[in-house]
Amino acid sequence: MTNVDRLFLSELRRIVGNSGVLDDPLELLTYECDALPHLRQTPAAVALPSSTAEVQAIVRLCALSGVPFVARGHGTGLSGGALPVAGGLVIAMARLNRILDVDIANQRMTVEPGVTNLDITKRVAPFGYYYAPDPSSQQVCSIGGNVAENSGGAHCLKYGFTVHHVLGIEAVLPNGELVHLGGSLADTPGPDLLGLIVGSEGTLAVVTSITVRILRRPETVQTLLAAFDTIDAGGAVVSDIIGAGIIPAAVEMMDSLAIRAAEAAVHPNFPDADTVLIVELDGPAAEVTALFDGVVTMCRRHGATAIEVAQTDEQRARIWRGRKAAFAAMGRVSPNYYVQDGVVPRTRLPEVLNRIRALETRSGLRIGNVFHAGDGNLHPLICYDERIAGQAEAASDVAAEILSYCIEAGGSLTGEHGIGADKSQYMPTMFSPEDLALMQRVRAVFDPGGLCNPGKVFPTPRMCGEVPGPYRRHPVEAAGLGERF
Amino acid sequence: MQTTPDPVLLQPANAAEVAAALRRASEARQSIVIRGAGTKSEWGRPAARVDAVLDMRRVNRILAHEHGDMTATVEAGATLHDVNAALAIHGQTLPLDPPFADRATIGGLLATNDSGPLRHRYGTPRDLVIGIQLATTDGVLTKAGGQVVKNVAGYDLSKLVTGSFGSLAAIISATFKLAPLPAASKTLRIGVGDKATVAEIVRRMMASQLEPAALEVVVGHRSLTILIRFASLAAVVDAQIAQATAVIEGCATDAAVLDGDAERALWHELAAAIWNQPGAIVRASWLPAQIAAGLGELDRLTACTTSVQARAAIGAGLIRIDGDAPAQATVIEQLRRSPVFGNVVIRRGSDALKAVVDVWGPHGDRRPLFDSLKRAFDPNGVLNAGRGPL
Repeated sequence: MTNVDRLFLSELRRIVGNSGVLDDPLELLTYECDALPHLRQTPAAVALPSSTAEVQAIVRLCALSGVPFVARGHGTGLSGGALPVAGGLVIAMARLNRILDVDIANQRMTVEPGVTNLDITKRVAPFGYYYAPDPSSQQVCSIGGNVAENSGGAHCLKYGFTVHHVLGIEAVLPNGELVHLGGSLADTPGPDLLGLIVGSEGTLAVVTSITVRILRRPETVQTLLAAFDTIDAGGAVVSDIIGAGIIPAAVEMMDSLAIRAAEAAVHPNFPDADTVLIVELDGPAAEVTALFDGVVTMCRRHGATAIEVAQTDEQRARIWRGRKAAFAAMGRVSPNYYVQDGVVPRTRLPEVLNRIRALETRSGLRIGNVFHAGDGNLHPLICYDERIAGQAEAASDVAAEILSYCIEAGGSLTGEHGIGADKSQYMPTMFSPEDLALMQRVRAVFDPGGLCNPGKVFPTPRMCGEVPGPYRRHPVEAAGLGERF
Repeated sequence: MQTTPDPVLLQPANAAEVAAALRRASEARQSIVIRGAGTKSEWGRPAARVDAVLDMRRVNRILAHEHGDMTATVEAGATLHDVNAALAIHGQTLPLDPPFADRATIGGLLATNDSGPLRHRYGTPRDLVIGIQLATTDGVLTKAGGQVVKNVAGYDLSKLVTGSFGSLAAIISATFKLAPLPAASKTLRIGVGDKATVAEIVRRMMASQLEPAALEVVVGHRSLTILIRFASLAAVVDAQIAQATAVIEGCATDAAVLDGDAERALWHELAAAIWNQPGAIVRASWLPAQIAAGLGELDRLTACTTSVQARAAIGAGLIRIDGDAPAQATVIEQLRRSPVFGNVVIRRGSDALKAVVDVWGPHGDRRPLFDSLKRAFDPNGVLNAGRGPL
């Protein structure tokens, strides 16, 4: 089906200009993977559109020529969702990075997909507003990528995911037609296609503009960090919090390996403990004040060895810096690592974490654990050294085993990173052939030609040229131009 | 619902029987309408021929309440009322307060994505559903989503059927994330003199850091009322009421704080009020900051009385339109042309009205997707007798 030939490239140049097309092998290197660098594929070419009309023209050209295409944001995805297709086109959305409308009175904002998550908040912060979903990569990840993955973040226990904060999108369908789903006004009649597209990992359409809800900053925020001798003790505090009917803005846990890594990387001054728990409450001052004392008491009751309550915004920022740097920080304690994103029902966390610790002992690979304890979203960081024969494969096996624990506990393969190319082969462990067939039927409605980010989400034989295996440094990292979040 | 004489009433007892009924209907090209408690059976377009009614009320179990995880899985025929009675044992709730809340079923709520004043804080069913089991017209049972609150594996088909009015598949069961039942609740009821003041109160409330559970505007016959509900710990509710009173200072002609039975009665009566009056009812949306313009436009458009019940900060609500069908049709068409209003859908209307104005309005550039989805899910076109949006 693939046909990126001279004619295709000249048509592409006609659409986006010479500077909007990359086909030099060296330039293409940047696009051969996202932040899951062990899956790599060089695309035939990259297009850099600057407008919706250009995206439409590119997609139409692909449809006519039978060229598969992959939309890409800022390449921070952790599931290979933006992995190129062999011989296909990458549509890089970086130039579609304008803020189109800021409407404080109606608490919404319309942006192009290349705008970074944090830039949305920065734009409205002077007015006392913010954009709620806050993935750890928020400084660099694009809102378009967030829409594709239905990104969460540390605060989604209380505030929900991208799907709860996107009011409308404009998107180019795989046939090149433009569609508007949702919008500034509530309650578009009919099935919730907006909710379907958000989280569809770029397999149904290419989103070209996004209207998001912005929230008023809460009146008060209180954050504490508590240290425990066991994961179980930290887990018991979380159970008490939920049992008391408290919905914290965030509840995060890190184990000793993750703590040590964060300490080495960004020096958040975390206590040297088996487990640290971060609890953040926000909302009306009266409510936060009343509930926060209760949380401190719960930590004490379960034997906290240290409790630090952030007294200033700076202290709070330091705690969060330690947490959000945890992934990247693993590079300080291990040459390579592989992060997974499975979810378990929150009440099964201690059991599953103890299984992971047993697996750590059995496999001989160190596993750091950073997780969203409020919603049971694990982020096991499996450490390995690719220079040691067999370790990369062992890491991959360990990751698969951890995912099997999550499914056995009634959970999910992924809480926020997406299935992508990374976990598509595990989809049959979570969904029946009938479940997957119905989803594929939906996909075919949007993309009958199978050109829109093929090979993702659904299990398929590996594509030729797609190399499963260990983490390798991204060329951008190797060149010292960027780091992983 | 307009039906041909004697549609067959099917009362399946479980998922397998629902799936089998759909398959048989599809194979026989028989038109089949899925029904819960029937509280919204007059919504949508007038039904074309109906050969069978699939009554879901026996598929009504509460399959799981994982209170430690704050999730529950319930079958489509269970009523919201029964579900919430069971969840309350562990101090939790599925935080929806739609019209007909005492009878409405979970399946019907999802299929219509209906909600009430608590939408201000908790959203609509689409915001709360995390997993779904469906029966499709090929007789196959499938699931999507899951049992955990955070999950992005696969397509979220629970969103796809939300708002589909039973036109794509039958909802067998759904999993929801829950909320803790608040310890206390109070409502500040404010009488307001004019539309500009309504807008001013809404503006001030939205700009404030107060976190009400509901922010409702009620326009009645010569009355404008704003209801601000707070739900939290008792002391927090009192503090928020005091703050809200300060925020709206100078705006209210009268204000009262209701709690206990009086507050419960207020919200209960409000949910039924608009439906207990005659006339057509449409759902419409607007930008929250345009509320004064919207109310002004309604005054201009409607020679006869209207009443409005709206989620002020969402910019969505119900508008009741008096008069005969031609007069109602004129108002609805003007609302659809208005620069202020959008997504104007008839909720309740006579067949005479629906004969001259489409219930759903134009679907714009979504139309081709709706048509393709309908063909993909219901190739023989047997589901829901043309009542739904697709």
